[in-house]
Amino acid sequence: MLVVQIKPKEEILPLISSKRIFILECLGCRDVHYPVEAAEEFIGDLKEEVVERASLDYLCHREFAQEYIRAYASQVEKAEVVLVFSCGVGAQVVSSLLEDRTVYTGCDTLYLNGFQGLTAKEYNCEQCGECYLNYTGGICPVALCSKHLLNGPCGGSQQGKCEVDPDIPCVWQQIVDRLVRLGRLDTLERLGAPKNWNVSPAS
Amino acid sequence: MQVALMDYTKFRLKPDPEIREVFGQANRMFVLSCGKCYKRFEEEGEEQYAHLVEVLGDESNKTAGNVRIDFLCNEFLSKKRISSLDFSGCESIGVISCGLGVQFVARLFERTPVYALADSVPHSLNYPTEVGYHGISLEEEKCAACGQCYLNLTGGICPITNCAKGLLNGPCGGATNGKCEVNSSVDCAWVRIHERLKKRGEQLSSECVRPRDHSRPSWKLRSDLSLQNQMLRGEGFYGGIHPLEKKEATADKKIQNFPEPRVAVIFLCQHAGRRAKPLVEVGERVLVGQKVGEADGFVSASIHSSISGKVISMEERPYPAAPRNELAIAIENDGKNEFDPGIQPREDFEELPKETLLEIIKESGIVGLGGAMFPTHVKFSPPKAVDTLLVNGCECEPYLNTDNRLMIEHPEAILAGIRIVRKILGVERVFVGVEENKPEAIAALSRLAAKSPWVQLVCLKTKYPQGAERALIKRVVDREVPPPPKGLPFDVGVIVSNVGTLFAIYEAVAKGLPLFQRVITVSGEGLTRPGNYLVRIGTPIKDIIEYCSAGSVDGVLQQCDVKMGGQIMGIPQASLDSAVVKGTTGLTVLRKYPVAVSEERDCIKCGRCAEVCPMQLYPLFYGYYGKKGDLGKAIEHKVEECVECGCCEYICAAKIALLSFIRQEKAYARSANKA
Repeated sequence: MLVVQIKPKEEILPLISSKRIFILECLGCRDVHYPVEAAEEFIGDLKEEVVERASLDYLCHREFAQEYIRAYASQVEKAEVVLVFSCGVGAQVVSSLLEDRTVYTGCDTLYLNGFQGLTAKEYNCEQCGECYLNYTGGICPVALCSKHLLNGPCGGSQQGKCEVDPDIPCVWQQIVDRLVRLGRLDTLERLGAPKNWNVSPAS
Repeated sequence: MQVALMDYTKFRLKPDPEIREVFGQANRMFVLSCGKCYKRFEEEGEEQYAHLVEVLGDESNKTAGNVRIDFLCNEFLSKKRISSLDFSGCESIGVISCGLGVQFVARLFERTPVYALADSVPHSLNYPTEVGYHGISLEEEKCAACGQCYLNLTGGICPITNCAKGLLNGPCGGATNGKCEVNSSVDCAWVRIHERLKKRGEQLSSECVRPRDHSRPSWKLRSDLSLQNQMLRGEGFYGGIHPLEKKEATADKKIQNFPEPRVAVIFLCQHAGRRAKPLVEVGERVLVGQKVGEADGFVSASIHSSISGKVISMEERPYPAAPRNELAIAIENDGKNEFDPGIQPREDFEELPKETLLEIIKESGIVGLGGAMFPTHVKFSPPKAVDTLLVNGCECEPYLNTDNRLMIEHPEAILAGIRIVRKILGVERVFVGVEENKPEAIAALSRLAAKSPWVQLVCLKTKYPQGAERALIKRVVDREVPPPPKGLPFDVGVIVSNVGTLFAIYEAVAKGLPLFQRVITVSGEGLTRPGNYLVRIGTPIKDIIEYCSAGSVDGVLQQCDVKMGGQIMGIPQASLDSAVVKGTTGLTVLRKYPVAVSEERDCIKCGRCAEVCPMQLYPLFYGYYGKKGDLGKAIEHKVEECVECGCCEYICAAKIALLSFIRQEKAYARSANKA
């Protein structure tokens, strides 16, 4: 699931300084995550003239975004800059609908683990296209190993923690533990083809 | 409306040889298949499983059953579903879903082998760039979620997801006729960027930009964010939403008396149940608090005049609580505000026996003031013994502050009301649930509760629909009310009452005042005088909007939606010709949203409705079968258990008119039950 953070002020202010701004704010994924306080602070501190602040939802939906822009046409017309607070998808949709206007985004986009639905998961699926879960006791090394290793642990883990980031458990340790519990440790002896990182996208 | 929707299905069956390989080592496998997501909702049978069986051929007897579960990665709902299945005789579990579903099931069955029977499908637009994540809508734009957005420099076209080489500093030079050299069916992103910038009269920045940080966003940051989200979502009860509260405008406004109306329009049905029988005739003079309608039957309530004056008409008028006309008595104010002589305070009200108290409540026409308008004397005569009174001071609806102000300004009266009800019900325990966004109310009540050890004040994390009684009961006393329409709170020994109702009970019992006035919040956009007002019942909505917007109300409905109640559960008013009824918690004026909910749009299976439904239903089916006109199918998906809190429609990423479908389907279910 895509979530956003407000960009540092130093990055945005030079772009919009002394311009009239129309703010389009997307609250569609607010129940997943939206930095309400940071956005309030950013918008509240703006010295520039804010023509209007429209708080809407699902800017990533082209049909909706089109209607929003129609409803706020006069404000868009009045503004010199349209400043979008949304994920990268919403910003791109709005930008493509306002081809001849200056559209900026005030956000950086990240993703949360487990990006379907609303509730974030502790685990994730990177949608690599070639599922390894059958050989790893249902724990994904593609998503969870810092080094994306598919053929066993790197050897650098300490007390079950990753050497890259000691906050993260070593996923290979977890895989081995799970396989031992299942009595299927021999699964790891299987020789598989190397991972094709080139799996073609959905046809 | 048929819009081209991208299909972001996240998985497909593994190649046939791999499936055979999996079954080579597994036996008696129970297959769970996910109903897919992020694609147009279509009725899909079990094709995936059918294909699996076909691939296995003679070995198909190695499977031991198949169940389709929508949104398998929704752990809470899927766990419930899976635990109801019978896995006896199975040696392994096969999962047809994306990696999320497989990992979830693998964790659930720690000691049974779980096999993935599907591969996820990557959705990079311009392969071989990195994965592009789509938004919640099924549009083609994608975002790499790189954490370092470049769109401000590139005219809103992302070079990371659109350039085959992911170049950030301009074109590679290999494009021919504007097409990418890696994949000639795709436009060169940098050509598009140049053209877009030219249209805008902008040019590429000649300044140095931050080089891209290719390390993935830190695990710590992402896990903090997901943890935050999990805590926010899981608080107290399953589902629910967090709309902007918008209570600031009226939270500090003292309750003021609203001017008496020139003409009061008093509906004879201001309650659940049968309409009251009129007791007056046109031309008759009535006094404030005089009974003008008699309860007709057990589930019904009496109606009282709210002003003194002459009855000028009795006719059907637009009813605010439902889209229909209802019989109403119109009374012209004589300006004397003369009270019915029967209205006398009772000094000794604390000593009255419970039968008398119940009779006073009945005679005073008190109904649930939280909006449901269920006759209070009926609610307080439960057919089963109850042990807990739960006082509802949540007021989780955005904009409203009626309960909040009552708790701040009249805590003693509410506590006296609680004492009365406690006596009637004969309960020991009383809980008062208040959301933590009302610190003043909490302070006022806790001062009093400190003196009454039998009252326990419970502060709840703000979440809509906390005030829905089932959610509240689960949250406060941790009991599950059996599903509606049959299950009611008294089945688990609880009666829930709103603070407004308790205040009205106090007023009726101690001061002798029948229910002819109530507190409402008038709030929303474009009002000059938003506030909390004590209004006489029957005050025309038009008068109130006129007073609070200090001017003419012509054309308000063209630009705004006026809702009786709050933003989410409030009932939209087709005209302003209706009047305040007992269940009017407030009037909310909202600028018309540019996109209305529709019965035409297609479900995109984002799964959000199922994630927010506090009744743990799958509302997407109601929209799907509703649109197809197959209303009976919704009954199979438990539409009768829906409490119409509106969370699903609020969150719906396709803006489908789910509530409208649900109401049709529930009506169909009721008539089907009768037949």
